[in-house]
Amino acid sequence: MKTVKIKKGWQFKIAGKPSHRIENRPAITHVAFVPDQIPFVKPRLMVQVGDKVKIGSILFEDKKRPGLKFLSPGCGKISDVTFGPRRVIHEIVIALDNDERFKTFEILTEPVLEQIERKLLIDRLMNGGMWPFVRQLPFRQIADPDSLPNAVWVSLGSADPFQPSAHIYLKGQTDFFEFGIKALRRLADTVNICRYNETPVKSDSTANYVTHRLFGKYPASDPGVVLYHTKKNAAENRDWYIDGQDVIQLGKFLKTGAYPIDRMVSFSDGSFENSCHLKTRMGIRLKDLAPGIINDHRKRWVVGGVLSGYTSIRDDFLDLHQTSVMLMDESHESELFGFVRPGFKKLSNSRSVISAFSSAPLPINSDMHGEQRPCINCGYCAKICPVDIMPQYTFKSIYADEIEEALACGLLDCVECGLCSFVCPSKIELTDFLVDAKHRYHKEINQGV
Amino acid sequence: MFNQFEKNLRRLFEKNSIHFSENGKFYKFRPLFEAVETIFFTPAIPAGCPPFVRDGIDLKRFMSIVLLALMPPLFFGIYNTGYHSLAASGIELHFLNIIISGLLTVMPLIIVSYAAGFFWEILFAVIRKHPISEGFLVTGLLFPMTLPPTVPLWQVAVGISFGVVIGKEVFGGTGRNIFNPALTARAFLFFAYPAKMSGDRVWVAVSDTASTAISAVTGATPLAVAALSPSFDNIESMLQSAGFTLSTLFIGHYPGSVGGTSALCCLMGALILIITGVASYRIIIGGVAGLLLTSFLLGIVSTAPLNPWIDINPLYHLAAGGFAFGIVYMATDPVSGPGTNTSKWFYGFFIGMMTVLIRIFNPAYPEGVMMAILFMNLFAPLFDFIEIRMHVSKRIVNV
Repeated sequence: MKTVKIKKGWQFKIAGKPSHRIENRPAITHVAFVPDQIPFVKPRLMVQVGDKVKIGSILFEDKKRPGLKFLSPGCGKISDVTFGPRRVIHEIVIALDNDERFKTFEILTEPVLEQIERKLLIDRLMNGGMWPFVRQLPFRQIADPDSLPNAVWVSLGSADPFQPSAHIYLKGQTDFFEFGIKALRRLADTVNICRYNETPVKSDSTANYVTHRLFGKYPASDPGVVLYHTKKNAAENRDWYIDGQDVIQLGKFLKTGAYPIDRMVSFSDGSFENSCHLKTRMGIRLKDLAPGIINDHRKRWVVGGVLSGYTSIRDDFLDLHQTSVMLMDESHESELFGFVRPGFKKLSNSRSVISAFSSAPLPINSDMHGEQRPCINCGYCAKICPVDIMPQYTFKSIYADEIEEALACGLLDCVECGLCSFVCPSKIELTDFLVDAKHRYHKEINQGV
Repeated sequence: MFNQFEKNLRRLFEKNSIHFSENGKFYKFRPLFEAVETIFFTPAIPAGCPPFVRDGIDLKRFMSIVLLALMPPLFFGIYNTGYHSLAASGIELHFLNIIISGLLTVMPLIIVSYAAGFFWEILFAVIRKHPISEGFLVTGLLFPMTLPPTVPLWQVAVGISFGVVIGKEVFGGTGRNIFNPALTARAFLFFAYPAKMSGDRVWVAVSDTASTAISAVTGATPLAVAALSPSFDNIESMLQSAGFTLSTLFIGHYPGSVGGTSALCCLMGALILIITGVASYRIIIGGVAGLLLTSFLLGIVSTAPLNPWIDINPLYHLAAGGFAFGIVYMATDPVSGPGTNTSKWFYGFFIGMMTVLIRIFNPAYPEGVMMAILFMNLFAPLFDFIEIRMHVSKRIVNV
């Protein structure tokens, strides 16, 4: 077992960490599939409003790669298909039947799994809607099934305490997890299982199969960060990765032959009482996750992590890949003499506030805490960047259209953790700028495809 | 009462905001309105893209901390200026009198500097339609603190205008300038009006009614004493006989520029800047190391008495003149300095080295730190370039 220590990053100091309590949150009337959060996929709809679907029926496939199928997370009638800007499919909403039925897939036994051809296994996963869980660095799109990666990285546990704890989602699921790992071993020669412990534990049920033990601050558990700190050559850049919870789903799918829809989601609204783990299902409506919260007009729903997530609304649904939902205060009131206040309750990575000298968790809101200004070259972003890309110079290279220079600085090593934007005193949208440049580059190199 | 004040203030800005909106009659002056409003109220701006939680620091806070760190040398400077002014005029040295006299000399410099500088800042912000930058809050205070107390006010205005316009705005404003604007302003005055910026008679502000006591106190700064001393035998005793012991120099209780005499106060400021992480300790420590090492080595190799400063205890270099002020407040300006870590060490080191070299080998020019910093400002991008190239070459290529 290797030990990987990552020095740079940010120690979370945010109040409302989800507790280890588990609550059930069944879907009430509707679930949905949210295609527009999946990068670089162009959906071709295979259903219409009014169609009947089972759990595991196909909803749409990727226009660019027709074998890549996306399956229904619910059984019932397609009640609505909503479109976003430029006719991008936003949501495919399914009104649930009372009695839900599964579409059945072929069961794979362990001896068969050991024998099965790699190509056949991939086909099976593609048809079973499981392939979207396997993703590829550095663009974080769904993995290219025709490529052979150097390794698959499995992440167990997150340095972001607002993500579900691996300890919780592994409980009682170790069989499925191990089966999932066996399936992954058929896909790549090396399967690296990275364990990040949220809290130090003496005995750990995962100790047998973990290959990398991770230490460090957020985002030390990100597969991109681990890869950056362990890679030996450029061939490893296109490695695949999968989340620990999705490995369980993978194992479950192959073992039971049913499209697995259960999900462990961590929820936080900043309070101690409501922040916990929720046992729920894929594609659930956000407001069904927090039935107690009725009045949220001064709140913001952030899906997918405090620092890397996107904004949603209460009537939207949970995206395929996301397992964390946070309800944070919206910024609404200007602060008198905000910049000379000593800052007993201000959250800052810098030492310019009093609270920097204590480790007590602090409440957060979605305010910028200042206005945008030109870059003053303070170097705060370079100091915190976990993959040493010096965001202040990389972003200026992109600004000057010197994409080669930005790539040399390590643009593609960016793990999209959000820390550079977070710490910037000039409030420059560094992460957004870098991610946008990555996406444009991806489009450029895949133009012929 | 405070809440009532806050409420009224909020209402005042809300009411007048309409005049500065797109259809209002003062739309052109929106940057000015925003600048005033945001001094009172940190605006509530929701984050538009991820991450949706942002750090509590902004440029206003960043610059406020520099201002805070400037307070020890400013307060001491006011006292020091007042003290020497009164001593020269032969007036009774009562603490209150000293402070009043100091304030009367120093405050006009600061007010003129801020007024003239903000005029240009606002003009450029209005024409370019960008918000007024906080950086000038620091520049506008740094500049008068480097001046002799006797400098005419019109020269302060001319100097800061040069610093803001030529030193900063022609490059595109804050964040794009290559030289430190405050030092650019000072360098301009230094070369344009040398009679008012150097020599023996500019360092003590004396009122016109001053009488016989003048000659007793008006005199050369320690750097000039050494440069002018006729015998090169023992510079330290020479300085001491002129009243400049090492401890006097360290505390800064001697005639000199308004804020730059006290190494002790600069040390206090440096601690504030380093603890809060606003200034780079690498530049400051590198600079001190460069100064001490260079003067120490020169002291060893010197055989002929070339210049009195060559044989002196290196600590004198550290305590005398404006080096401490320059390395703590001027060299650490993030915009004109390098942004990479190793470069900062070199940048600081070379500033210290250049300061000593200029002090020793340029007899016409006793104070070297200003030119040293401006010179190294010029090289900061090169340092960065080299370090980025070295850093990039170590990375595993990912394209």
